[in-house]
Amino acid sequence: MRRLAPQDLRIEAEEARLLILRMLRGGRSGHVGGALSCVDILTTLYFDEMDIDPLEPTRPDRDRFILSAGHKALAQYAVLARRGYFPEPWVDTYSDLGSRLAGHPDMHKLPGVEANTGALGHGLSIACGIALGLRLQERRSRVFVVLGDGELPEGSNWEGAAMAAHHQLGNVVAFVDVNDLQISGRTADVMNMEPIADKFAAFGWKVRTIDGNDVEQIQGVLAEVDRDSSSPTAVVAQTTKAKGVSSLEDTAASHYWKPAAAEMAEAEAEIRARLQQLSLQTVAR
Amino acid sequence: MTAAPELVDPRKTFGQAVTEFAADDSRVVVLSADSGVSSGFGAFRDRFPGRYLEFGIQEHGATGVASGLATTGLVPVFAAIAAFVTNRNYEAFRNDVAYMGQNVKIVGRNGGMTYSDLGPTHYSLEDYAIIRMLPGVVVLSPQDPGEIRAAARAMLTHEGPVYMRIGGPAIANLFAEGPFVIGKGRTHRSGDVATVVSTGPATANTIAAVDALRAEGVTLDLLCMPTVEPVDAELIIESATRTGHVITVEEHYDRGGLSAAVSECLGPLRVRHDAIGLPHQHVITGTYEGLLATYGLDAEGLTRQLRDIVAAGRPASAK
Repeated sequence: MRRLAPQDLRIEAEEARLLILRMLRGGRSGHVGGALSCVDILTTLYFDEMDIDPLEPTRPDRDRFILSAGHKALAQYAVLARRGYFPEPWVDTYSDLGSRLAGHPDMHKLPGVEANTGALGHGLSIACGIALGLRLQERRSRVFVVLGDGELPEGSNWEGAAMAAHHQLGNVVAFVDVNDLQISGRTADVMNMEPIADKFAAFGWKVRTIDGNDVEQIQGVLAEVDRDSSSPTAVVAQTTKAKGVSSLEDTAASHYWKPAAAEMAEAEAEIRARLQQLSLQTVAR
Repeated sequence: MTAAPELVDPRKTFGQAVTEFAADDSRVVVLSADSGVSSGFGAFRDRFPGRYLEFGIQEHGATGVASGLATTGLVPVFAAIAAFVTNRNYEAFRNDVAYMGQNVKIVGRNGGMTYSDLGPTHYSLEDYAIIRMLPGVVVLSPQDPGEIRAAARAMLTHEGPVYMRIGGPAIANLFAEGPFVIGKGRTHRSGDVATVVSTGPATANTIAAVDALRAEGVTLDLLCMPTVEPVDAELIIESATRTGHVITVEEHYDRGGLSAAVSECLGPLRVRHDAIGLPHQHVITGTYEGLLATYGLDAEGLTRQLRDIVAAGRPASAK
């Protein structure tokens, strides 16, 4: 586990955003909105929180990360590449025939991926199984999960919510990436699952609510998690869909985006400008 | 007069076999969906309480848990009512177990129509069909207590996903206990008129039917198949090539399961294949014996069906 300055995490997250866009070059399309909303959470977990070693990705006592909302794979690929799990140029093979980087993550194809996810509502139960297995083998590793607010109507999430509390899986930390949007529109209009925090609390979870695009708040909430607790932790992370690309932000259209060349150039320029500003601020300090 | 054969509970037999294996292999953990004891795991729970994990009534979530447990190197065994560990959790079975290639063992008990009076929601007559469509999953269907014990050990030794179906009602020994190899069947009777292939609890009545026809001078090859997927194609093709006629028998719909597995391996041979199983319709409720009689799967019904099929399959000159 490392302790990075928030500014370093912000820079890493912007670098990951650039990689997310890079995977769409060449006329490709992908689940960009959700990837950009959760990338600050993944960056903080992989660069600052989790006990992991990219050179030994299957070390038995590593912390685990499960992307339950598997369509946000672009974010995981970008962060894994930045963290050194595989050579960065691999991202250019995204969605190629037989690629290691498909539209949803595959544990047998890419180092650092712990589960094949994508069909929604599966991640929490898998995470609970890993957490139980670690505990049975007396390992202190933890399991981090990212759920999407749009997948919460799947009842299997609530099977997971019940079992995590019942089996006292304090080694599970689940982030709910609440970007308020899904394919068909506002989650509140498609199927309202609010109050999300109250639902997890009612199942017996410790619940925190934060701004999920603010790395300082993500770091703060992770610092508060007591790994010896008997309760799992749910972090309700309010985010902005497509965060960081202003033309797309908070739009349902960003869910699955196929950018025209000009749109791509504009989005990349915006992120680069922010990166430069962040770097200058770092130098100035 | 011969003494009645000793009948034993297949679930207890299975649970005891897993418990004995688990004594020497601490990786084995058992998952229960409010039904572990009914699945034969009372002794396991008492002996290894820390490795007996209860989830209440939730098969989808428990299957996901099994997947997660397997990623940490454990060998999870999830046993519950066959209909619910194949149908209700099918997507978790497909994605979290089969696609992820996990070392997970899922066991459906009270398979077929053995929950006779509880009705079709509790029958599993399509489980082989849907599970054998998942690449890389072994489907086991042991036929007597000895095979259940041997199959349980083979299942736990095999690296990869396995589905095993056992029944509920007490069953008798049929075979001398011997080595069990996944994917291998056994020739239990030899004959030349036709090849009968059976699996699971249906095998007991099939043996009786084959012996009844033998008394009438009709000798049938009887291949007993404790593995539905991968089926023992070598054994089936060798026999079918000699007899030119294959008849499958199973307590499953007469399509998609053993019948399909056999049919697929016969393809190039162009031999006649008749399938005995449940007709593709929603079946009625009642006593188990009553259902077997109604659908022609008791010894008398199988004798009648085999006799008719063999007669219809013979060249006209031989009839």
